[in-house]
Amino acid sequence: MSVLEVENLTKKFGGLVAVDDFSFEVDEGEIVGLIGPNGSGKSTVFNCIMGIYGVTEGSIRFNGDDITDDSTHQVVNKGLSRVSQESNPIDSMSVAGNIKLFTLPNSIVSLRGGATQEEIYEYAARIDIEDDLQEMPDELPHADVRRLEIAKALATEPELLLLDEPFAGMNQAEIGELAAQIERFREEGMTMVVVDHNMGGLMGLVDRVVVLNNGDFLASGTPEEIAEDDAVQEAYLAGEGL
Amino acid sequence: MSSETGRSSGIASRISGAAGRAGGAALDRLTTVTGPINRVLQPLANVYNRLIGGYFGEMNGLQFVLVVGTLVGLLTAPFWGNYALIQAMIAASIWAILAMGWDIQSGYTGYISFGHSVLSGGAGYTTAMLIHNVNPELPMLVTIPVSVLAALGIGLLIALPSLRLSGPYFSLITFVAVLIFYRMMNPLSEYTGGETGLAGVEKIFDITEPVQSYYLFLLPMLAVAVALLIVARSNIGLILLAIRENESAVEAAGINATKFKIWSFMLSSIPMGIGGVLLAHRFGGVDPGSFIVVDNSIEMIAMAVVGGMGSILGPLGGAFFIILMEDIVLHAFGLDAQLRWAILWIIVLLILVFARQGLFRKLWYGLERLGGDRR
Repeated sequence: MSVLEVENLTKKFGGLVAVDDFSFEVDEGEIVGLIGPNGSGKSTVFNCIMGIYGVTEGSIRFNGDDITDDSTHQVVNKGLSRVSQESNPIDSMSVAGNIKLFTLPNSIVSLRGGATQEEIYEYAARIDIEDDLQEMPDELPHADVRRLEIAKALATEPELLLLDEPFAGMNQAEIGELAAQIERFREEGMTMVVVDHNMGGLMGLVDRVVVLNNGDFLASGTPEEIAEDDAVQEAYLAGEGL
Repeated sequence: MSSETGRSSGIASRISGAAGRAGGAALDRLTTVTGPINRVLQPLANVYNRLIGGYFGEMNGLQFVLVVGTLVGLLTAPFWGNYALIQAMIAASIWAILAMGWDIQSGYTGYISFGHSVLSGGAGYTTAMLIHNVNPELPMLVTIPVSVLAALGIGLLIALPSLRLSGPYFSLITFVAVLIFYRMMNPLSEYTGGETGLAGVEKIFDITEPVQSYYLFLLPMLAVAVALLIVARSNIGLILLAIRENESAVEAAGINATKFKIWSFMLSSIPMGIGGVLLAHRFGGVDPGSFIVVDNSIEMIAMAVVGGMGSILGPLGGAFFIILMEDIVLHAFGLDAQLRWAILWIIVLLILVFARQGLFRKLWYGLERLGGDRR
C-alpha cells in the first residue's frame, strides 16, 4: 500500500514553475531516492509535502488522508517528519532540550509531558549522539548537528521520514556511517524518502530512484537502471555528473 | 543526568556568556570563599528543590537565600520601611505585575508588543466606566472580574489578527492599537471622561492603614508571579522560548506556533487586567495620561529589559529597581521628575547595550557561579 501519494503536484512562484505536474508514490517500508540536478525542485516538493509552501495544483495524500492543505504541525502529527537541508537547532537549548521540544504535546494546557530522559536518550542513541545530550548545538561538529536534526525528526515518531540532502557536507567516512544508520531505520520498519542531487550516497541505500528535472518527472527505476538511463545522463550532463 | 537542570544551566552558561567573561575570572576567585558558604546553605535549598523545585526550577544555596531574603523583605516592609518607601513599593508591585504580564508574551515569544498599556488601560477604564456609567454601587466583586475579562477580550482582539503575521508587523499593530485607544478617549468623552478621565473609583489605599493597604497590592503581585513562573517553567514556557528562537523548528516539532502565540497573549492579558484594575483602585480613577499613553507600554518594556526579558522574575526585579530608583534614590538627590526619568532611560539604554540579559539574570547566574560546582 502507498504511504505517500503525490499526484500532479504543481508549485508556481509567481511566473516561475518550480514543480510541474509531478507525481510519485512511496510504498510502506521502502527507501526512495529523489534525485535531480540542483534547482530541479526536489526541496520544493518536500516543502509542499510538509505544508511549508502552499500547493498551486495537485494533491498530496498520506496513508490515504488528504494533507495537501495541512499546515506543518498537522502534517508532523500525522506521522510525517522532515530532516531539512539546513540544520536549525535552537542554540540556547542543549541537545537533550532540542530533542525534548520535538516530543512535547501540542496542547496549551499541558504543563508537563513530553519524553522522559530515558526516552530522549533512546532517540539520541538511535543516531549515535547519546554522548552529546548535555552539549549545546553550537559546540557540536557538523556531522553531529546533522545527526541532531535526525534525532529531532525521530522524536516525533514518524512513519515516513523525509531526508533532505542528509549527506551534505559530510566526509566519506561520515557518509558511510550515516548510510548504515539509515539502513537500521529501514530494518525498524521506517519508510523514507531521501533527496540528494547525486547518486553517490544513495546507490547502495535506496530501493528505487525517482528523478526530477526542471520540476518535472524524468525517470524512475532501480539505482542501476537510473545510472544507465540516457535521459538522466543527459539531464546531468547539462549540469554536473551523476 | 538531570536534563531539566542541565538544560537550564546550559541556557545559563550561554546567556551569561560573552558579557560575563570579563568579570568571570574575578568571580571564579571569589568562588573559593562563596563556594563553602553555598555548601552550608545547600541543604536548605535542597528541601525546596525536592518539594517544589520541579515547578519553579532548582536553585543553589545562594540563590535560595536571595529569593527567601527578598520575599521576607517584601512581606515585612511595612514594619521597617517609611511611608515613602511603602508608597513606592505599592507602585512597584503594580508595575511588576504589568512587566511580568508583558514578559510572558513579548519576552518569551520574542513578538515584542508596544501596546500592552491598552490591556491594562482597558481594564482600568472598564472598572471606572462601570462605576461611572452603569452603577456607582457595583461591588468590586463584580467590577474586578469584568475588568480582567475586558483585558482578555481586548487581548484576543489584538492577538487573533496580528499574531498570524511575523516580523515587525505584530509590533506595529500593537503600537497602532494604543494610538487608536488613546484617540478614542476624547470623542467618547461622555463615557470616558476625555482628557481628565474618570474619578470615583474606590481607593483601596487607606492612608490611615498603610500596612493593610500594602498587602492588597503585594499579595496579588506575588500570586501573579507564582502563577506565571509555573507556566514559564513548564512545557508552555519552553515552547514560547522556542518560538522566539526558531519558529519553524517549533512547527516541525508538530506544535502549532500560532496557537501558542495567541495563548501567550491571553496568559499575558490576565495579569495586565489585574494590574490595570489595581492601578485604578490606587489612584481612585483613570485618565489617559496615566493609563493608556504609549509611554506606559514602553515603561513596562524598560522594566522587563532592565531585569531580564524572558525570565518573569527579572521583570519583577526590574519594576522594583526602576520605581525605587525613581521614587526613592533619585528623589533623594532632589532631582525633578523629568530629569529622574531621563537618567532612568539612560540606564535602560546602557543595559540594552552592555547587559542585554538584564541585571537580575546576571545576578542569578552570578550566584550560580559563586556557588561553585554542585554536581
